[in-house]
Amino acid sequence: MPEVVVPIGPYHPALKEPVNFKVIADGEIIVRLELDLAYNHRGIEKAAEARDFVRVVPLLERVCGICSHSHTTAFCKGIEEAMGVTVPPRGQLIRVIVAELERMHSHLLWLGVAGHEIGFNTLFMWTWRDREVVQDMLEELTGNRVNYGMNAVGGVRRDIEPPLVARCLKRLSPLEERIRKYADMVRHEPTTLARFQGVGRLTKEQALAFGTVGPTARASSVDYDIRRDDPYIGYADIPFDVVTDGQGDVFGRTLVRIGELLQSVRIVRYALENLPPGPVRVNTPRGAPKAEVLSRYEAPRGELAHFIRTNNTDKVERLDIRTPTLANWTSVAVSLVGSNLADIPVVVAAIDPCLSCTSRITIVDPGRRQTSVMSWDELRAHGIDFYRRKEGV
Amino acid sequence: MTNASPLAAEDVMKAMEGLGSVDRARTNRLRVIVSPERVREAILRAQGSLGCDHVIQIGIVDNGRVFELHYHLTGPHRTVVTIKTELPRDDARIASSHDLLPPAGIYERQIHDLFGIVFEGHPNLQRLILTEDWPEDEYPLRKDWTMRPDRRYGGSTPEGT
Amino acid sequence: MKLSERIVAWARLKSPWIILFNSGACNACDIEVIAAITPRFDVERFGILAKSSPRHGDILVVTGPVTRKQVKRLRMIYDQMPEPKYVIAMGACGATGGVFRGLYHVVDGVDQVIPVDMFVAGCPPRPDEIIDGVVKCLELMKADMKNGGKAWRVKAPAPAAEPKPAAVPGTEVTA
Repeated sequence: MPEVVVPIGPYHPALKEPVNFKVIADGEIIVRLELDLAYNHRGIEKAAEARDFVRVVPLLERVCGICSHSHTTAFCKGIEEAMGVTVPPRGQLIRVIVAELERMHSHLLWLGVAGHEIGFNTLFMWTWRDREVVQDMLEELTGNRVNYGMNAVGGVRRDIEPPLVARCLKRLSPLEERIRKYADMVRHEPTTLARFQGVGRLTKEQALAFGTVGPTARASSVDYDIRRDDPYIGYADIPFDVVTDGQGDVFGRTLVRIGELLQSVRIVRYALENLPPGPVRVNTPRGAPKAEVLSRYEAPRGELAHFIRTNNTDKVERLDIRTPTLANWTSVAVSLVGSNLADIPVVVAAIDPCLSCTSRITIVDPGRRQTSVMSWDELRAHGIDFYRRKEGV
Repeated sequence: MTNASPLAAEDVMKAMEGLGSVDRARTNRLRVIVSPERVREAILRAQGSLGCDHVIQIGIVDNGRVFELHYHLTGPHRTVVTIKTELPRDDARIASSHDLLPPAGIYERQIHDLFGIVFEGHPNLQRLILTEDWPEDEYPLRKDWTMRPDRRYGGSTPEGT
Repeated sequence: MKLSERIVAWARLKSPWIILFNSGACNACDIEVIAAITPRFDVERFGILAKSSPRHGDILVVTGPVTRKQVKRLRMIYDQMPEPKYVIAMGACGATGGVFRGLYHVVDGVDQVIPVDMFVAGCPPRPDEIIDGVVKCLELMKADMKNGGKAWRVKAPAPAAEPKPAAVPGTEVTA
């Protein structure tokens, strides 16, 4: 029997974003996977070189609508580091509040989409209903539901008034209760247990070798969180725990994300209660001196890196964005090898792919160096072997 | 894992002895400047004696004169070790490091597509980001690249082709 | 109008099925469209269903500027839809390219590739605005049915179409 190539996408009923898989399958079992995800490449890095800092911020906000605050914060703090400017504490904490609310909305969105991918639409509807609470808070804090326009080089654009702080605090407790309910539901619901457990497993060694970041890595007990390891915008003073899990499968990633939701509630509550007085923004010089900054940020999906080079002008000489999804793609293809065709959507969804951010392609082979000359029998043997090993764990 | 202390500049200097100069940008950023042919050796040494197990990014800058490649590595010590090298613009090629750093395979393909740098020994250095019908010899992120009005850059409808 | 036609028209207006296609957007419009499906906004109460196959759709919702790689795909999706088909371009990017206008890998608005019936403004539009756009599109459908097709609202072509300026990367809207 020859190998069967199943093309999926770029437009596909199960996908919300354009991505193309070429799944090479032996019966139901995936032996190889080719991913093409560059459908959203727009050329932002080139445009960033031609616009000044003030105009780059709204552009970077639209790298990705889900993690828009992440990109602008990573950029602004990089430029601030190059300029030698310190953002006032109140501005920093407001950035933290928006960042953690964004993490909450993104993780709730993910939980819903993952529920949708396994046919658990009740979870989808419930999490998205609760996500609206977060969206309301974001809208009241920043003025927009999705692209917040909150960041500027030197601080944030809007201050938070005390009545708004009280309103947000009041909303957090019911939300926390709901999140605890989801944590309980995911652990006990037969649907999630059947579809999440043991699916898309990554060992700690694999997670490290393939350079995974964020919840994907933390679910494989890689204790790696930029908020703690390379603290920025005041995270050094905020109490929170890094959530990890040892299971390494989709179930572990779900638990990590739910744990992070609770931590985010804790951070937002702390930040709202301890908001220092003072200005939210400082004036910055127009240009930045010659400098080179690697600005790292813990986005909802993992570590985001902006490599910024400035050269005494008001434009960047180079802005190199490495998005978390790009770092995680390699692991998707690896963890899918040997699984069922039916598991593709949930494993792909499990890294919370953000294709607008990424828009890159990857082709990953199980035996990286030999596969190009592997015969079909070898491939098949490899697939079966991999599956056995996976089941034997 | 998190208790590991940050790397000191001296450690890096010792590990990278004979490869190039070491400087530090701030508390947890250290940079080594090496020549292109010794990048792989530097990565191996960083992985060995410095314990770097994670590649953050391969940053690339076209500063108008040369291409600069920055391999940002980190490890349990949470210090970013950057290996920097410079490639000439007219013949930009460097040995691939996809076997040392598995995720680097994707980053290298991306750089190849947008900058035209050839990574020798890369098993699959194909088109990565740009559309299928983008001209072969145009690399949009180079500083001197502009769109030429007499060329087609892809993205036409079926009846338009 | 024959009885059968009237039944079809009634069914079409009471339950339009929408298809969502991301032609290069930043996801913001997409999550807002999905938010419109979920309990807070709940478009299903208008009979609007989000469908996945273009062959089942009445209204194509396109989010984002069209990237060069998506041009062909967008056109194919559009061609697969059954007549009468309507297209809603979402947000600033769908209308003109938005912040991405003139970049090297986009061809700007959706109307460069397929005919668009309705533009929804915003970056991104709120879910209620999206619902408003779909409902307005239904009125357009009704008017089209009365006038026997879309031909009545096609404007005469401009006498001398000025040549489109060549897209220069990095340059943006100066107005």
